[in-house]
Amino acid sequence: MLSMKNISKVYQTEKVQTHALRDFDLEVQEGEFIAVTGPSGSGKTTFLNIAGMLEPFTGGDYMLDDVNVGSLSDNQRADLRNQKIGFIFQGFNLIPDLNLYENIEVPLRYRGIKSAERKRRIEQCLEKVGLASRAKHLPQQLSGGQQQRVAIARALAGEPRFLLADEPTGNLDSLMARQVMELLEEINREGSTIIMVTHDQELARRAPRNIQVVDGQLADFTLYQNKTMDAVASQANHPAIEV
Amino acid sequence: MLLHYIDLSWRSLKRTPLVSFLMILAIAVGIGITMTSLSVYHMMSMDPIPQKSTKLFAVQLNTTDDGTNWWTQDNVPLQLTYKDAMTLHKAEMPTRKTASMRAGFTVHLNNQDLKPFLSDARLIGRDFFPMFDRDFVYGSAWTTEQENVSAPVVVINEELNDRLFGGSNSVGKQVYLDDNVFTVVGVMKQWDSHTKYYDLNNGAFDSPEPMFLPITLVAPMQIESWGNNNGWKHEAISTFEGQLQSEIFWLQFWAELNSPAEVQNYRDYLQAYLEKQGQLGRYNRTVPEFNLKNVIEWMEYNNVVTSDNKVLLGLSFLFLAVCLANILGLLLGKFLRRAPEIGVRRALGASKRQIFVQHLVEVSLLGFLGGLLGIAIAQLGLWGVRTTSNEYNALATMDLSMLLAAPTIAISACIIAGLYPAWLVCRTQPAIYLKTQ
Repeated sequence: MLSMKNISKVYQTEKVQTHALRDFDLEVQEGEFIAVTGPSGSGKTTFLNIAGMLEPFTGGDYMLDDVNVGSLSDNQRADLRNQKIGFIFQGFNLIPDLNLYENIEVPLRYRGIKSAERKRRIEQCLEKVGLASRAKHLPQQLSGGQQQRVAIARALAGEPRFLLADEPTGNLDSLMARQVMELLEEINREGSTIIMVTHDQELARRAPRNIQVVDGQLADFTLYQNKTMDAVASQANHPAIEV
Repeated sequence: MLLHYIDLSWRSLKRTPLVSFLMILAIAVGIGITMTSLSVYHMMSMDPIPQKSTKLFAVQLNTTDDGTNWWTQDNVPLQLTYKDAMTLHKAEMPTRKTASMRAGFTVHLNNQDLKPFLSDARLIGRDFFPMFDRDFVYGSAWTTEQENVSAPVVVINEELNDRLFGGSNSVGKQVYLDDNVFTVVGVMKQWDSHTKYYDLNNGAFDSPEPMFLPITLVAPMQIESWGNNNGWKHEAISTFEGQLQSEIFWLQFWAELNSPAEVQNYRDYLQAYLEKQGQLGRYNRTVPEFNLKNVIEWMEYNNVVTSDNKVLLGLSFLFLAVCLANILGLLLGKFLRRAPEIGVRRALGASKRQIFVQHLVEVSLLGFLGGLLGIAIAQLGLWGVRTTSNEYNALATMDLSMLLAAPTIAISACIIAGLYPAWLVCRTQPAIYLKTQ
């Protein structure tokens, strides 16, 4: 379903070459819920951005549903992203001028879905995240947890094959974080594949599959399971940046 | 999707009202100035009679001695002598032709109700009316018979008919011109030509005259010209008859030639006529010179649109470019500040093309609003031009094509100014902004 082989990402400036990912291999099966952990600067977000085709990779092979991502043009990647991937961001990234209904509508419009179908999906998704009565509200009229639920609704509306979540609870208090996590688990039970980057070990442990990124590579989980993230970071020979 | 983009654009304008207002104002001022110049230029250079402009020919005859300098580009006088004009007027060819002369009279009705007033008039042949496509509200042109016998008849326009006769059918009624009694034979529909192309030697942008009389009245009534008289040699003229026989140029002449063959035949006729006049010893010229110029050629020959007008038009477009440069700066700031939102849209599946088009729609909306306000400013500018001289009354106006051109130019100009900012913002790498929002 999602297959990365020897993926590398190098950020090049005039004097410095930084390897954000190196020889990164990952296979994801349909319906998995994967938590990605790792120290700051280890390359978690870079991995997620490449998985979501938000930035290009430097080397390796990336297949998404049997499509070779590396061979796609920018517009083709945008189409594929729109059809297959839903994003949930730490900062919610709702568009402030648009009400909840319109925010959820954004990816559907880019996909060219007809108005009646858009309406059906939006109402269904708002119902799912418990905000059906607030469709006309602007994002700033909601709490952080509610905004993140809207972002989840927006990600779900396109009925994506993958949900990519980057620190989805990072800006939330523990109660709201638990609620959002429960929502993601429910979505996963219904069949969606979720890849979630998180610093929160407790949340990570709730995911059926955990992977760790260290120094731009997938780490052997058993090696690190008894160490703190800081300790892992201090062992890194080639510090990577998190972008 | 277009409606959605327009909706997004409108929200964007409302989100930054001050910047939006400044941009719209900048476009409006640029368009207002440009459209003021362009409208005047357009009216000046417009074909005044498109259906016949290639069939109506102004005739020029050079009946001066060799070595005589004239101010025209080819040294040929613009007007004709009376004797040449009348000879051509009475010739059998072509079918339609007319001598033409500017004059004027004191007009009254010999009663207490109307104070006498001065008015321009034009003396012409009856062919003038069909040649220049003049229609009548009442009556018609005078007859050939009336023209041949120099009958005191007159055609007046609607405006003068309103003034003299309250707009009623005045055919058969009498009017006094310099105390001579004339009978109205026709009331001509108002002629709102912006260029008086049939007599560019006497005020290219004056309004057409309100009265038209038979040219054959000039001699018997000794009607003096109100136009320019151009002499080129000393002549002892002491009588009106002497003036008629002189070599002074003071009449215009037009011929309607409907095919290349007719043009060639008439050219041959004029050539033969000039050779004959040379043989009679009227002038010392080895090679006869004459011109036949159609309406468009005639307007160009007479520099109806002067180089000053062209420079002014160029400067106004330059001013529009300066306005656009300012708008470009404002657009850059506005669009780049929106990069995080664009990052989100890109992440949600918007292609670069969709982002690019969205921003071009926004600049088009700016251009449209600026164009509308620009029309208002242009109207103000044209009103200002009209107040400087009555000559500009018909010229300093916006016709439908100019009204449509204003928003078109504004939108096109804004799209040009918005191309770079839109291109820049559509290249936004979404990953950069998603983490930092």
